Amino acid sequence: MDKLRKVILDVSGFLLVSLVLLLSGCGGGQSKTLYIFNWTYYTPDSVIQKFEKEYGVKVVYDTFASNEEMFAKLKAGGANYDITFPSGDYVSIMIKENMLEKIDKSKLKNFANIDPKVLEQCDFDPGNQYSIPYYLGAAGVAVNKTKVASYEKSWSIFARKDLANRMIMLDDMREVMGDALKYLGYSVNTVDQKQIDEARDLINKVWKPNLLKFDAEAFAKSFAAGEVWVAQGYAESIFAEVDKANWNTVDFFIPKEGGPSYLDSMVILKGSKNKDLALKFIDFIQRPDIYAEFCDYFGFPSTVNVPARALKKGESWYRPEDLLNCELKKDVGADLEKYNAAWQTIRVGK
Amino acid sequence: MKKHTGLLYTMPQILWLLVFFAAPLCIIIAYSFLRKGLYGGVEPQLSLDAYTAMANPNILLVTWRTLKISIIATALTLLIALPCGYSIARSKNQAIRLFLVIVPFWTNFLVRIYAWIAILGNEGFLNDILKALHLTSTGVQFLYNQTAVILVLVYMYLPYAILPLFSTIDKFDFTLLDAARDLGATKFQSYVRVLLPNIKSGLVTAGLFTFVPIFGAYAVPLLVGGKDSYMLGNIIADQLTKTRNWPLASSISMTVTVLTTGLVFLIALRKPREQKQVFDADPLLLQPVQAGKR
Repeated sequence: MDKLRKVILDVSGFLLVSLVLLLSGCGGGQSKTLYIFNWTYYTPDSVIQKFEKEYGVKVVYDTFASNEEMFAKLKAGGANYDITFPSGDYVSIMIKENMLEKIDKSKLKNFANIDPKVLEQCDFDPGNQYSIPYYLGAAGVAVNKTKVASYEKSWSIFARKDLANRMIMLDDMREVMGDALKYLGYSVNTVDQKQIDEARDLINKVWKPNLLKFDAEAFAKSFAAGEVWVAQGYAESIFAEVDKANWNTVDFFIPKEGGPSYLDSMVILKGSKNKDLALKFIDFIQRPDIYAEFCDYFGFPSTVNVPARALKKGESWYRPEDLLNCELKKDVGADLEKYNAAWQTIRVGK
Repeated sequence: MKKHTGLLYTMPQILWLLVFFAAPLCIIIAYSFLRKGLYGGVEPQLSLDAYTAMANPNILLVTWRTLKISIIATALTLLIALPCGYSIARSKNQAIRLFLVIVPFWTNFLVRIYAWIAILGNEGFLNDILKALHLTSTGVQFLYNQTAVILVLVYMYLPYAILPLFSTIDKFDFTLLDAARDLGATKFQSYVRVLLPNIKSGLVTAGLFTFVPIFGAYAVPLLVGGKDSYMLGNIIADQLTKTRNWPLASSISMTVTVLTTGLVFLIALRKPREQKQVFDADPLLLQPVQAGKR
């Protein structure tokens, strides 16, 4: 019996040692590796490959679907990423939580390409000490023109009873609440209970009865399949699903009232082993030809990089001016509870 | 000596359960009694907030809805699985029929949900057929409501009910049915009064194997449900990933776990003999529930 136990101990010991060796092997290596943690479909493969080739390095690209997911994974520890791409509110949270490395802007010769108007909006990180803007955009509304003949470019489209059950909105609290708040003329970051209640009632009583569902996973698929004719969501998701031959049947607009916008930034994480390489990557992204390639790939307007605007070849789904009435989502801290309570009645009720 | 060997054999299983079941469960229990962190996570401070927050009418409504959907879906699954199991048990080519029941498992769970979306959608196959037959001009809204959720749930968990039912019915002595008929029972009576009592254990197992996972369903209501189909699984996920309230997610998870485990224990304690029979009969049948992804 003791013999058997010894054998088992030996075997498990061997397995443990080899596991440790295997894991440590992953981290090391002579050629440099840059670990990037980014949103799904947010940097084209072609851009990554060009970077790898020019700098003779390897890039590991992992993805997340929401700020919350990214934050939770990094907070839990264990991951050794060099760069990630939080939205503005999360940049400020991550600075507060001491998770970011300061960025030496003197090493970024392409920093000058960034639109000063965008930098002005970076009040989540004044002076861009920790974050360099990546992309400024907003969710909008996609309309299937073959099914909906005339419409106003306003959030009021969701009040149209004739389109009942043919419209869809994101299952995203801050986005949908922000749309209603903007439509009512309030700030998307309000913490005034009365305004939040008003937005909640607008969604519950006027918009929701006409919606097929709230969906952040498959909204673009439903739109592409003709299931819904009007979808609130992100342009890049919509056009990734709609067949290229049918792109002319789709109108994408940012409603005239504006809505919540997002400014995603590149940040270097505390503990990064490749700070220099990470800086090089950030600078590489802001190189005009590279930024134009990124925008063209997704049909984005070049909202952040000025010289890239002239280099863009493809069309954009919306123009930088369309974002004029939009407002950046900010961290509302403990007042988020007010939004949670309102959103719960929206998601749970009949 | 003999005892030690048994322990050694079960060690991997015990370790597995400790690491991947007991330990996470303890973490969930601990989190449910802590104060929520402003940006997710928890503060090291005892609090019952997560449990008082559950008394919220919205959450109670969702709990009631989840219970309702689970009971209806389980009942429908059993109703369909019973004749299926019976016919497989009495069939000459059992192997082929069992094989056909298992085939869907080769396809990913999510792909099968999307297949249903392709069938039932407004522009889906079913509506295409109805339109071709001139039964409707605009299409029928099959998807994105509770009925669609129940339909897809029944489809998903049908094999979990058919397999245990088959294995119990297969051991049933069918001559007993003839005897009942000889003694004057009608065909229906012989099924209800002779067959059903003898396969009770199979029914209980099949019911548990479907009810428990359906009660925690997440992906099906998310993808084929509509505005009225938000279930407990969805609340838990949202509290964790969207509203940054980990303690509430933990306390709801705890409640679901306690409710379902309580149900299993209740049934196991009341019917110790029959439970044992089923588990002895085919230990393999216990695997689908663990492997089943929600």
